[in-house]
Amino acid sequence: MTGDPDEALLARVAKGDPAAVRALMARKLPRILSLAQRMLGDPAEAEDVAQETFVRIWKQAPKWKPGEAKFDTWLHRVALNLCYDRLRRRREIATDAPPEQVDEGPAPDRRLLAADTSVRVSGALQRLPERQREAVVLCHYQELGNIEAAAIMGVSVEALESLLSRARRALRGALADMVER
Amino acid sequence: MNRERFEELAQAYGGQVARWPESERDAAALLMAAEPEYARRTLAEAEQLDAFLDAWRPKPASAALMDTVLAAAPKPRREPRWRGWLMPAGLGAGLAAACAAGVLFGVQLEQRATGANSAGAAVAELDLSGLSEDV
Repeated sequence: MTGDPDEALLARVAKGDPAAVRALMARKLPRILSLAQRMLGDPAEAEDVAQETFVRIWKQAPKWKPGEAKFDTWLHRVALNLCYDRLRRRREIATDAPPEQVDEGPAPDRRLLAADTSVRVSGALQRLPERQREAVVLCHYQELGNIEAAAIMGVSVEALESLLSRARRALRGALADMVER
Repeated sequence: MNRERFEELAQAYGGQVARWPESERDAAALLMAAEPEYARRTLAEAEQLDAFLDAWRPKPASAALMDTVLAAAPKPRREPRWRGWLMPAGLGAGLAAACAAGVLFGVQLEQRATGANSAGAAVAELDLSGLSEDV
């Protein structure tokens, strides 16, 4: 046993066990969807990425070799590659601008504050360079450890730390006016 | 750990030390114990950005997405139909072969036994004839 928490479930998925299929979807779909939404900033595109990722999971399950890699790490790599494919396509068709964000204005109603913050943060994150965004998404949102996140990104731990620092500095700058609220 | 490193870690990984690299946490805990007010201020500053980041909640998966994902999933493996009748057929063929082999073996055994008896009789006859000559 390698200690990969997904291995046993994958073996059952490979046999087409319906309960295992549902369990794996419940365990991984929200994570993949959240990763894609935060990388792409577009919920519809994120759903496409999540769907494509699962097509690859189902194909890979019977071929999965225990002990060679951690399934969650492989999964993040696949989903991120699919996100990068889409980001590349956006650049190619010269629509690199981040998705439309609601113009942030004063929000007198306190109920609007949370939604407003969400929109502001989403916009600020989308304006980060892709690698910085990826670092924040993996470490903060996906809650991966620094070693695993660096491995997924194919960089050293020091490089990851540098990307994170620059990203957070930029985010603080972009959201500075909210601190005084 | 010195203050500079503590700030670098807070700047990179945020205000929750539990999210910092495992290898740095013990040293960070020592600094927090030695300089609680400084550590609290530094972490609080980083936590503010953490809170902003957490305010962005992703949309949950739609029912349509879940259906599409499940539709593409591996299906339970079923034995092909031909296997259903091949198994008993194979078993039957095996039994028939075993019976045939048994019968063949029995016949051969009988033939050998018969041959042995006739040979024994011939030997006995020779012996007897020899004896009769000596007598």
